[in-house]
Amino acid sequence: MPSAKSPTRRVSTYKIVQAVLGILFAGYFLWRLYVVFIGNPAYGPDTWARFIISGIVLGSVYALIAIGYTLVYGILRMINFAHGDIMMLGAFGGYFVFEAFKAIPAPTLSDPKLTFLDANPILSVLAAFIVGAAIAAVGGYFLEKIAYRPLRNAPRLVPLISAIGASIFLENAAQLLFGTQRRDYSNPVVLTRGNGWNIPIGGTTVILPYTGVLTVTVSVLLMVGLYMLVMRTRLGRSMRAVAENKQVAALMGIDVDGVISRTFIISGALAGAGGVMWGIHLGLVYYYVGFLPGIKAFTAAVLGGIGSVPGAMLGGMFLGLVESLGPGILGMSYQLADVIAFGILVLVLIFRPTGIVGEVLTEEKV
Amino acid sequence: MKKQFRFAWSAGVTFGIVTIFLFLIGFTSTSGDLLADLFGNKNAASFLGLTPQMVNMLIFLALVGLWAGSYGSRKMKGQTEDPWAPALVGGLIAGLVHGILVGLLALLVGILNLHHLPINMYLAALLPPVITMFLLGGSPIQGAIFYLVFFTLTGFLGGLLSRGVGRGSWRGRASGNWKNTWDGFNQKPLIKQVRGNPASRYVVYGVLLVLLFLVPLVAGQYWNYTIGTIFIYVLLGLGLNIVVGLAGLLDLGYVAFFAIGAYTMALLTAPAPQHIMWSFWIALPIGVVLAALTGLLLGAPVLRLRGDYLAIVTLGFGEIIRLLSTSDAMTSFSGGPKGVPSIGGPIIFGHPFNSGADYVWLIFLAAILIIFVTNRLQNSRVGRAWEAMREDETVSRAMGINTLTQKLMAFAIGAAFAGLGGALFASRNQFTGPEDFTFMVSVNVVAVVIVGGMGSIPGVIAGALVLKGLPEVLRELQDYRVLVFGALLVVMMLWRPAGIIPSSRRKMEVEVEKDTGVTEPPKEGGEK
Repeated sequence: MPSAKSPTRRVSTYKIVQAVLGILFAGYFLWRLYVVFIGNPAYGPDTWARFIISGIVLGSVYALIAIGYTLVYGILRMINFAHGDIMMLGAFGGYFVFEAFKAIPAPTLSDPKLTFLDANPILSVLAAFIVGAAIAAVGGYFLEKIAYRPLRNAPRLVPLISAIGASIFLENAAQLLFGTQRRDYSNPVVLTRGNGWNIPIGGTTVILPYTGVLTVTVSVLLMVGLYMLVMRTRLGRSMRAVAENKQVAALMGIDVDGVISRTFIISGALAGAGGVMWGIHLGLVYYYVGFLPGIKAFTAAVLGGIGSVPGAMLGGMFLGLVESLGPGILGMSYQLADVIAFGILVLVLIFRPTGIVGEVLTEEKV
Repeated sequence: MKKQFRFAWSAGVTFGIVTIFLFLIGFTSTSGDLLADLFGNKNAASFLGLTPQMVNMLIFLALVGLWAGSYGSRKMKGQTEDPWAPALVGGLIAGLVHGILVGLLALLVGILNLHHLPINMYLAALLPPVITMFLLGGSPIQGAIFYLVFFTLTGFLGGLLSRGVGRGSWRGRASGNWKNTWDGFNQKPLIKQVRGNPASRYVVYGVLLVLLFLVPLVAGQYWNYTIGTIFIYVLLGLGLNIVVGLAGLLDLGYVAFFAIGAYTMALLTAPAPQHIMWSFWIALPIGVVLAALTGLLLGAPVLRLRGDYLAIVTLGFGEIIRLLSTSDAMTSFSGGPKGVPSIGGPIIFGHPFNSGADYVWLIFLAAILIIFVTNRLQNSRVGRAWEAMREDETVSRAMGINTLTQKLMAFAIGAAFAGLGGALFASRNQFTGPEDFTFMVSVNVVAVVIVGGMGSIPGVIAGALVLKGLPEVLRELQDYRVLVFGALLVVMMLWRPAGIIPSSRRKMEVEVEKDTGVTEPPKEGGEK
């Protein structure tokens, strides 16, 4: 029966094309590795160390945001397109805390011009994280309540379009509220961007920035906390149950709507913390600040296997490293770092939509 | 009763937050200017020492307050024997809460303004004159008390009005009457004969064509430019309509094909980076074909993905194209961030296109061609295969549709339309650069398709006219345009997922699909 045979043949040609392209990419990559490290080394070890540091810091922020995508996707099977803009809300929250603390004078005898921000850096940073996370969590809660909940049973395209609409709305609301200019995050003096420990590598010193260390530490702590929450607590158990099967979970006495709301609150809070980190480490906030990190974090979530929390962490780290090391290895200009990130997104979705962690997904999920 | 009180209270809070938001984005003051423009009472008598703008702003706020009151009293009706009291209590509570919130805001910004704190450094819209206008020139306390009383009163009136008009029944009666009249009108023998005669349709088309021909002659330079842009969006919308509306594939990187059409036209006809300088008429088909080919190339690997992954991959592709066109790596090839100037225009029988009207006619021609092609496609075997695929991919595959080929075809045809639009756009503007191809263009086109009605040709045209045309007419709304786009996407999905003019086939589906939350079937009478 030729008609029965043709689908299987088509699949195999696709596999062959995949394999050929994969080998070509891998070959090109290996060749570039050879050129960059052995053939014609363009950078010394100190430069590579700098790339790796910035990659890990970026990656830890991506990982935090990616967890939000993964949690929501795991439960609702939808891409929360507005997640990056929730992060933007968090970044603005932290910004306003710093600005407010900077306006409060706290003069001492030795320094009459001291502000509250510089006098209590630990308290300020803590407050910035808490306020940023809280604002983003509230944003996430209302986002779900207004834009997603009424569409729970609608065809797949409908909530996605609603999410895109919500994302555009949030971006432009922020633009109208706070203006179009890029604002400098005024860190406490201790955390001035660019300051850090000097580490001697290959004859020169490499700066390990304080802001980067803070970012990675907070991010790791939050991720561990989240993992404990998902694996050890009652809420985590109900989240996993709802992700597995909503109807059965409801039959078991789980308040499905409540669990979904809480999932959005948690993922919003993580994104908000990510936004504050973004502000503290990279220093700029404006209404569009969430768009690119949002897409990249989504890439990270897909890379790690969407729906899997450890996958999102791994994917975030990986993407951060790729973004900072990629242009150097592939010999491209740094303007094209985003092209590499998007290119990876396209390639992963084409070749391995299940991601690195590679949970075998059913037809319904993929 | 407790439940109703709580509802009124939360209605007050909601409206309070919305009003505060509108004030913070500067919309309350803009609404004053807008109403003044619309009704021409710019020189209205300034009574009680208020300027006309203040009066207009108060009219707008009064409408909001009335709405809050009538909404807050919604759950009150039919709860007790006394028909008046609950509505009034509901309206009053909602109005009071609304007033307290806005009054507090007035107090706060008033005090901050009094101390000359730079509020607009953080909240960009709150310039000192805006705040003074909001407080009606009074002190913060006066303003706060005024708004408390103002919104309580309007809320009370709103509750009263909703009692008198009877919300649900009023609306039902009105649309019912309208439908009956329309049906009666259609039943008249003469009308029936005219409507039944296919020739009458061509007469209508003919009149429309003549009108379209006349428009560019009447309109000035500015309006010709605007109309051209609107109809380029009609082209793009119709192209995306095939991909999203008919085939059900959400493409967020549609701007990439638009860019490819535009850059092809630019590089082939402009003297600057490439020095080819071919004629417009050669570059146009090349642009269209290149866009379609890119669609095929991108589609082949990507179309196996499920809906929302596809959206993100196409978005990534669109961004890649834009980033490449901005980067230094491509400067020598395509002009980089500076773009490509002096793009060639078409020449017909030795007559070069130099006025706006020429281009408008050309764009009209392209739009009519595309409308014709889309219409034929939609009713063809291919179109039905697309719609079947959109509804259920597995079943359509079982029915013998090769879904991959059909998807590729939809993608390529949609891309070709975008290429045509891009080529015309570049040639008309005589300049193209990376700023023309941001993600916002894709969003605009998606909004045009969704708001107009997925899969419906008149819907897409109406969508382009409303979304691109209305902000041009109401210039004050320019700043809020994109915000409204976003809100509209959400609102349309919540209340009317089939769009303002749903396609006839879609309409039937929506009436069947009760589980999507669509309860009200569209009420366009008289359509077949």
